[in-house]
Amino acid sequence: MEATAETIPQFFLHQAQTRPPGKVALRQKELGIWREFTWKESYEQVKAFALGLIALGVRRGDKLATVGDNDRQYLWAYLGLQAAGAAQVGLFTDATAAEMAYIIDHCDATFVLAKDQEQCDKLLDVRDRLPQVRRVIYWDERGLWNYDEPWLMPYDEVLALGRALDENEPGRFETEVTLGRADDLALICYTSGTTGLPKGVMLSHGNILSAIRLYQAVDPRADTDNHVSFMPMGWIAEPILGIAAHVFAGVVMNFPEEPETVRQNICEISPEMLFYNSRLWDSLVATVQVRMNDAAWINRNLYHRFLPIGYRMADARFGGTAPGAGLRAAYGLGDRLVFGPLRDQLGLARVRAAYTAGSALSPDAMRFFHALGVNLKQIYGSTEVTGGATIHRDGDIKFASVGPPAPGIDIRIAPDGEVQIAGPTVMMGYYKDPEGTARDMVVEPDGRRWFRTGDAGYIDGDGHVIYLDRVKDMLQLAGGERFSPQFIEGRLKFSPYIRDVMVIGGENRAFVTALIIIDFENTGQWAEKQRIPYTTFVDLSQRPPVYDLIRQAVETVNESLPPGARVRRFVLMHKEFDADEAEMTRTRKLRRNVLYERYGDIVEAMYRGDPTIRVRAPVRYQDGREGFIETEIQVMSLDVAGGG
Amino acid sequence: MSSNSAILNVETVSLHFGANAALSDVSFDVLRGEIRAIIGPNGAGKTSILNCISGFYRPQQGRILFKGADDLTATPTDRIAALGLARTFQNIALYTGLSTLDNLMAARHIHMKQGMLQSMLYWGPARREEVHHRRIVEEIIDFLEIAHIRKSIVGALPYGLRKRVELGRALAMEPDLLLLDEPMAGMNVEEKEDMARFILDIYERRGITIVLIEHDMGLVMDISDRVVVLDFGQTIADGTPDDIKRDPKVIQAYLGES
Repeated sequence: MEATAETIPQFFLHQAQTRPPGKVALRQKELGIWREFTWKESYEQVKAFALGLIALGVRRGDKLATVGDNDRQYLWAYLGLQAAGAAQVGLFTDATAAEMAYIIDHCDATFVLAKDQEQCDKLLDVRDRLPQVRRVIYWDERGLWNYDEPWLMPYDEVLALGRALDENEPGRFETEVTLGRADDLALICYTSGTTGLPKGVMLSHGNILSAIRLYQAVDPRADTDNHVSFMPMGWIAEPILGIAAHVFAGVVMNFPEEPETVRQNICEISPEMLFYNSRLWDSLVATVQVRMNDAAWINRNLYHRFLPIGYRMADARFGGTAPGAGLRAAYGLGDRLVFGPLRDQLGLARVRAAYTAGSALSPDAMRFFHALGVNLKQIYGSTEVTGGATIHRDGDIKFASVGPPAPGIDIRIAPDGEVQIAGPTVMMGYYKDPEGTARDMVVEPDGRRWFRTGDAGYIDGDGHVIYLDRVKDMLQLAGGERFSPQFIEGRLKFSPYIRDVMVIGGENRAFVTALIIIDFENTGQWAEKQRIPYTTFVDLSQRPPVYDLIRQAVETVNESLPPGARVRRFVLMHKEFDADEAEMTRTRKLRRNVLYERYGDIVEAMYRGDPTIRVRAPVRYQDGREGFIETEIQVMSLDVAGGG
Repeated sequence: MSSNSAILNVETVSLHFGANAALSDVSFDVLRGEIRAIIGPNGAGKTSILNCISGFYRPQQGRILFKGADDLTATPTDRIAALGLARTFQNIALYTGLSTLDNLMAARHIHMKQGMLQSMLYWGPARREEVHHRRIVEEIIDFLEIAHIRKSIVGALPYGLRKRVELGRALAMEPDLLLLDEPMAGMNVEEKEDMARFILDIYERRGITIVLIEHDMGLVMDISDRVVVLDFGQTIADGTPDDIKRDPKVIQAYLGES
């Protein structure tokens, strides 16, 4: 069947029919133990769920929205609803009730699969905005025991309906699966979008399978490989690198115990392929650095002794020069003593290929992981092209690039510097938004559809794509100097003490400034070691030694920038940028417009040269109450060579 | 939860420290399957009465009947837990050097049947017993959402989590009656709401009767079935939260005489 399989459920059915009966398909940690489920068990669940949905009236082409932490029921429901011919719409678990209502209503979902009480409560709050939703199906009954609400329906009831239908119509499931076609809608993925309402990216089974084939061509996976499923299902990465790899190559899915235990669970599974967004890799660098500073004397010494050797090895390997015998021997020793154990601690012991995406990862972080012997590759793309469009190949990794176009993908640079992408992974379009689709797509006379990414970049002599910034976010200073705020931000965030940064400049600005958010945990630990007392985030951020600490980090980054584009003034912010407060997207990209608006007073004060700024910041407590914190924050000016 | 029989009868209990009367003639009962709150201003005797029930203090007068049979004032302290009574403390009392898991497993010892020798050999029945207890403990870990700190050393955990571990330890004893001494003290609003949710879940799902001491009236009034109010070691009111809110003596005790 594989030869003719053209949808996700068809590949799933093929796997379930050809794997030996005892072969493990997935694991989930429960009550402290990794429970295993075979392909056979998985098949029974998916079949019962798919038929249960059909019994409930789901028709081919319907849309079903799902919200919940990654677990086996989520997977089975995902495969089941697609087997019934429906399309999946993944929501983020931390979405507010209003955000959920918008998407569920916009995508015309007839059923919502909501894992637990938390999600069901949100849906009940906005029920009057969801006239199209017939039932809400849940599978974690904790806290829902006493709900007398016929709108809510337990998952097991769907399974029971499905089993009954299976008895009446044996073979119905297989028939339904065979009806699927490659150009059927499989997934609507709502992009977080840095402006405006989220847009529903429609992806077909063909898009998704083309995407996983492209990864398979670069880094082949086998049915002995493990995937740890922890990326939010609402994001494009998990349906591709997780579920599509699972049904296409038989990769074993592993579901963490709780969202809080993901790091530990990754260490226990030690997967062969690992995808973190760039924020997570950045925070991992910080974790290693801080832990090493706290480590026993001997470990710390070994680490500092061998890290430069790791860097030299990485530079040699990727600079195209063969490392000498001496370097290889020294690295081998370092691998035994330091890098190997460190990789093990981070759950990277078996990783053949590790990926990063999201906002650009700093070249320094990239170098760091290669020094540790982690084959970290950059992926660049977007939801509209089913995830990745470029990817680094083994032995052809450049720290500053996002890699060459992936196999089968074409990339071109428009005259204004915009990156455009064509290939089998380009989306069907935005759901119910033909104007938006037309705006973001260039259709050539030959019929080829090119997706306009809105990103600025160029292709270098080796065919690697270099990502610069969003086209609209490339900035020019009053003096004509062009710079990319995001690039500077990426470099600054390499400091373990900096959590987030927004760099500011523009045509009406003579120089560059920055709003910096300290990393509370790491900076707090540093302060404790220095015996600097502090109470809250605000208090810690305004301590003069902390300002000195951050100033050193800024000065280091400034050295690598052209004099005109250096950061001349900065403040340490009194609060974090918060995704809940609309200041960042869920993938932690800055919403610059909102930030300019909120912190305009601080920015202006920096450019005026005020020594301190009084701030009155609105805060929303977790229970929904609103309050204010009043405080004074300092402006730090730096001496920059060539500036006044 | 339908049975109306009393699980605990506190009858005219008086406790003196020298000339100081901590409790005078305190009487109340706790019915099976209810959340019973004891409130009162600072120094009203809330913790004293809890200490009498759990056998830490021996009152000079009165008796405390547990399940209508055992008088707790005359029961050796180390037997009280085995009768089916567990408590948490205002100032958390855990093995700070042990992990969350070990703290909870330690609480299972009252249910362990194997002797020291078998346990040391960890063979046959002893091994099966360990697995059985581990499962119960893991269910509690799951219930209280503390899986991520299963192996963490308790002493290094933040306060709110330690409170939760302590509650877990009390639950691991599988008590019929759970005494909670200020479970929400020192917590922020969100942590308090979490704790209130856990207490309600314990009561609803596990059918455990709960006696709760709280200094702060707000949440207690929301979650308890009946409230007894102490002031200067005496019972000044006893009734439903609505009765208590309207009781002039309670208002006076909390707001002071004016």
